Amino acid sequence: MGMFRHLSASFALLITASTAVAATHEGEWVSYRDAYRAMVMFEKYGKAKHLLQNQFQVMSKDGNVAPDGVQLHVQGKSTSLNWPLDPTGRTAFALLKAPYDDNAAIVLNRKGGKYVFRPRISIVLRPDGVYDAAELREACEQALAYQRLADAPLRSKRCVAVRFVFPKGMPDPGVRLRKGEAPSLGVADGPAFEGDSYHAFRVVSYRFGAGGDKAPVVTQNAPLAIVPVFE
Amino acid sequence: MKTLLALSLAVACGAACAQTPATNPMPDGSRDMYVGLGVVVAPDYPGAREKRVNALPLLQLEWSNGMFLSGMSAGMHLSRRPDLEFGPLLALDPGRDQDGSGNKVGGATPVQSFLAGREARVGQGLEGLRDVHARLQLGAFANLYLTPSLRLSNSFLYGAGHERNGVVWNLGLQHISDGLSPRHRFAVSAGINLVNRNYNASYFGVTAEESVLSGYSAYAPNGGLRDIYVGAGWNWALSPSWMIASTARVTRLRGDARHSPLVERPANFSISSGLVFRF
Repeated sequence: MGMFRHLSASFALLITASTAVAATHEGEWVSYRDAYRAMVMFEKYGKAKHLLQNQFQVMSKDGNVAPDGVQLHVQGKSTSLNWPLDPTGRTAFALLKAPYDDNAAIVLNRKGGKYVFRPRISIVLRPDGVYDAAELREACEQALAYQRLADAPLRSKRCVAVRFVFPKGMPDPGVRLRKGEAPSLGVADGPAFEGDSYHAFRVVSYRFGAGGDKAPVVTQNAPLAIVPVFE
Repeated sequence: MKTLLALSLAVACGAACAQTPATNPMPDGSRDMYVGLGVVVAPDYPGAREKRVNALPLLQLEWSNGMFLSGMSAGMHLSRRPDLEFGPLLALDPGRDQDGSGNKVGGATPVQSFLAGREARVGQGLEGLRDVHARLQLGAFANLYLTPSLRLSNSFLYGAGHERNGVVWNLGLQHISDGLSPRHRFAVSAGINLVNRNYNASYFGVTAEESVLSGYSAYAPNGGLRDIYVGAGWNWALSPSWMIASTARVTRLRGDARHSPLVERPANFSISSGLVFRF
């Protein structure tokens, strides 16, 4: 009888709570606190990171869904923020006390489907589009050092390349080494970041060692992202 | 670093593993709190044949300065490395009376229910044995992330048992996964508990006097491996404020604990589920 009482009370509690929260958020959502915890690690990282940026990415698990048009809304008692996403599904994550204390939700403006939310490290873009090869390598090393902190298997990997990511359908993004009339580096369709499901971006890989890492890499069009590659 | 998102699963970890990341994971002056209520089905005491169903209060608090309270444990994070957690640990060993209790339920960081109704006992049980009183244990924890989702956990506690000199050393491995959905976090764990002779004597020993009163044969166990366990946890976030935390654990007593005359069944199973409010 005692067991029945306990179970009945617990199930009643569960049903009440489920009903209460069922209509709270219609889109996919993630807890601001959980996202904050993931994003703040980069902020508190004390070693070299000046060539890097850390952004919050939302990506569909369905590879056919482009991130275009997806927006995030931060909803809390005293918080209401809109975070537009770039074409790679990323946005700058504001580390704020108010939504944390509100236990706010980060809600996606898409219903249905499965999405993954995660921090993404990339290399800061230069307004002039000219990237010193040695600096790209240094940026890659900074990213690897940071990500090794919490991911031991990365300790056996090394920086081998950076990937310039351009919008879908761009025939020639125009990434070349500044060596007179050097041809553009090869372009292919692929994901922006490792693990992304959407593979229709135009990506150009610059592998370290090509050209002795002395000639600058020049981009004719601004990339969406420059991503370090570890192998 | 994506699996740091999974750290909210802490509410479904055991005592020493239910901790915040090493560096301050929240704004200065903020805190993260979980309170809840559920049910737990567990043996009367480790090795008991009889199971009981109890109400299960759930409690976890974390502060921005690194302090935490998780179930019946409290401690503080001192590490500044994200892949390493260590610090002092305080825990309340709930003890054991002749009705049983004192079981640790892996998972939902239980506040052991001292108020829960007692079920009628069947069998010889613990009658005639001295009560093991609740004790405050002092110790430390040190956890190492092998990957963002795989953690080696390690905690050491001193102070349980009749003479307040029992030692429990827990070594575990925990894998956390949020692969299916941000709303569902899963954890599987396995580990061992090593104890000293004083601990085993309190919980699994039978003195000559107790032998007369209880009818059990006198038994003086040594220390060593107390048990091995495997467990699983599942947190289902209904909203940022509400979640259902569930755990299951199978524990098998080993060594001298296993051979105690008090042990009716060396393999024990426990399961718990509760509704948790986060604020």
